[in-house]
Amino acid sequence: MIKIIKVTGSSLSPFFLPGEYVIVWRAPRKHKTLSPGDYVVFNHDQFGLLIKKVILNDPSGNYIETEGIHPDSLSSQKIGKIPYSDIIGKVINRIHPKTS
Amino acid sequence: MSYKIIQSLDKILRFPEAKAHCDVPCGIYDPISAQIDALTVVRMMDLMDGFTSGDEKPRMDFHNSMSRYVAVKEQHAENAKHEIRVIWGDFIKDAHVEKYPQLPGLVHKIMQLGSKCRQTADRDHGLALVDAINEFAEIFWAIKDVKTKKAKAPYAPALEMVYPDL
Repeated sequence: MIKIIKVTGSSLSPFFLPGEYVIVWRAPRKHKTLSPGDYVVFNHDQFGLLIKKVILNDPSGNYIETEGIHPDSLSSQKIGKIPYSDIIGKVINRIHPKTS
Repeated sequence: MSYKIIQSLDKILRFPEAKAHCDVPCGIYDPISAQIDALTVVRMMDLMDGFTSGDEKPRMDFHNSMSRYVAVKEQHAENAKHEIRVIWGDFIKDAHVEKYPQLPGLVHKIMQLGSKCRQTADRDHGLALVDAINEFAEIFWAIKDVKTKKAKAPYAPALEMVYPDL
């Protein structure tokens, strides 16, 4: 299932810029295939809906760890482990005024 | 073109917004992660060193274990750099640098030592990384008016670490 989500904030700039849209593929069965470097959208108990880069996928298949790429973004230490159940999906495409 | 279409749809459908950056000022900063990462680097070097003697070298288990040690050393050296960069970028302010002018040089030194620890298996580089991050931790806690103490880590490689004296 496909979902369109709007990006806000600058943590992933210059890769993702505020105001652009990302196409997210919702496929819970595919969470195990997420790899470091993939971008994901997930729900965080404290911070709400976030988009971050995967830095680790638990080999036992329970959670991922993420980070932003901008120096001001939250550290993975603060975001913590993201259980598979909180993952909305993997970013498979982006729609930005300069690239569309 | 497609952006304009999606933008128009957004005005009607209101797509959910995902934050790439959160401005919640949680104020939780602690160099202990970087300190433990640096300790792990030395531990991996010790394990690798212990593995390079004996007849077990040609065995598959040897290569398997050695690969894992190297991978963990790589990961934790990079984690240590990452954690220090976060504190440096998000927490340290101009006034702190004025009070502790050695900070920029120290952070740069940690970045270089972290890279050296990835490039080599030289334990001296690992020890230097632990020392440099301990020095960073000492300054960090001084900025926060928290006293520190030095104590040996309660696990191998049992190096002397700087901890907040709470």
